Amino acid sequence: MVNKKSIRGKAAVIGIGVSPLGRVPGRSPLWLAADATRNALADAGIDKMQIDGVMSGHSFASPFHRFNVALSEYIGIQPTFSNTYQVSGATAATLFNIAAAAIDTGLAETILISMGDSLLSGLTPDMALRSMTESRDQQYEMPFGIPVSNTFAMTAARHMKNYGTTSEQLAEVAVIHREHAMNTPGAQMTKPLSVDDVLSSKVVTTPYHKYDCSLVSDGGASFIVTSAERAQDLGIEKPIYILGGGECYTHEHIFKKEDITTTGAKRSSELAYARAGVTADDIDTAGVYDCFTGTVIMMLEDLGFCPKGEGGPFVSDRQITYGGKVPINTHGGLLSHCHPGIPGSLLHFYEVILQLRGQAGDRQVQGAELGLVHSLGAGFATNATTILGTESTL
Amino acid sequence: MSMISQEEALKKPLPTPDGDSVELWEGLKDGKLLLQKCADCGDIQYYRQEMCCNCLSDNVQSFEASGKGTIHSFSVVHRAPGPAFKADTPYAVLLVELEEGPRMISSLVGSDPNTIEMDMKVELVTEKLTDDISLPRFKLAE
Repeated sequence: MVNKKSIRGKAAVIGIGVSPLGRVPGRSPLWLAADATRNALADAGIDKMQIDGVMSGHSFASPFHRFNVALSEYIGIQPTFSNTYQVSGATAATLFNIAAAAIDTGLAETILISMGDSLLSGLTPDMALRSMTESRDQQYEMPFGIPVSNTFAMTAARHMKNYGTTSEQLAEVAVIHREHAMNTPGAQMTKPLSVDDVLSSKVVTTPYHKYDCSLVSDGGASFIVTSAERAQDLGIEKPIYILGGGECYTHEHIFKKEDITTTGAKRSSELAYARAGVTADDIDTAGVYDCFTGTVIMMLEDLGFCPKGEGGPFVSDRQITYGGKVPINTHGGLLSHCHPGIPGSLLHFYEVILQLRGQAGDRQVQGAELGLVHSLGAGFATNATTILGTESTL
Repeated sequence: MSMISQEEALKKPLPTPDGDSVELWEGLKDGKLLLQKCADCGDIQYYRQEMCCNCLSDNVQSFEASGKGTIHSFSVVHRAPGPAFKADTPYAVLLVELEEGPRMISSLVGSDPNTIEMDMKVELVTEKLTDDISLPRFKLAE
């Protein structure tokens, strides 16, 4: 159902900021979020007291029930609209969609979206994995020793069986992400990577090798979102508008999902395209959640960039980088740039917004005016899509 | 979410039965995997819940699964999710499609996990962990 009342162009991102990313020892998740917030405020050119809404997500290393409230206290503000959303990796896009709706309906005027976590330095590797495993069901999944990667791995395995997707094609996803990260200052992984390197890296959970899996990192990211009118009043040079969003929650347990090779991203993106009044073919650059290489292949199909089952060849044809159909994750993504847990997908937003502003430097996708970010989590249980555009797309 | 202590991380997680699932875990103690069929709409469901997930009727009735199924997908775990499962690696987590229709997560017993393939036939084996809990696991069918 697409409601005629639309958030299209009602709200705009006017400030973006990140903390130090990668390995950031000695910094708490709240500091990472607050540091990113200082940078986003400076970027927008506004004072913290102009924020009346704060939206955040869960931090594993600082498991506050209300990270949003803790963050507001930490940076000394008292918002009148605030929440911590918990839909795992899909949280980021969800926050942008809800922020636009909240601004459009007057619940808030200027919203801070901010998250931070320190999965690399704040937790031991085993504790980090175990804390993620705890998000699986304690009766029907956890007793069988399911790592967080396993649910994703089983969907990839079935995709390979149904569509002939190969391990080499999965590896090519990692290789292209590494190429992108090598152009990104501060990326965590900048050593060249080959298909052979991926295939000869240690197996984590079949069909995934070490380099098929995203990184474990520290970091925070923040965004200032306000009404289109306020962005204009402030004289913001290049506001990036939220054009549409969609979400889809298909299951809690992967065993309840009938077709495990098609995800809720299909529905969430259909809604987002319809609400934004655009199609997949119109998208100039995208941030595609890349927790694992196979995830990217399935998303390329479900987001409509290529037909179902053709994600593998689409990657082999280098359609996801410069000169291809849709350059994705030009910063290097969760696979090679930075993956601080739930905040990870905020970095997809950061990169897509840089691209739309024309501020991506050597990584610039020429003429990028329309962007998409897809966030997902919990073994494809949660999916959320946001479509962003420059003034010319309104 | 609270933090996990090192001591807790070394223990395998045991399921805690709840109001929906208590009969499932009771059945498994006797080697039976109980599914439910809705007397109103005919839907067959796993996991166990005290309401039909299709038509929301209370009229759901237990029956014993044949224990036969196929491997709809699997992933062989080489890097365990924490210290408790390290000694078991490599092990195969299975997405089993039961003969009756529903699917469930389980893990393989009795065969080299590196030899299994999609759509192979499997059979239920219950594994006693404590006096209260037996896990539904699967072996390759003979």
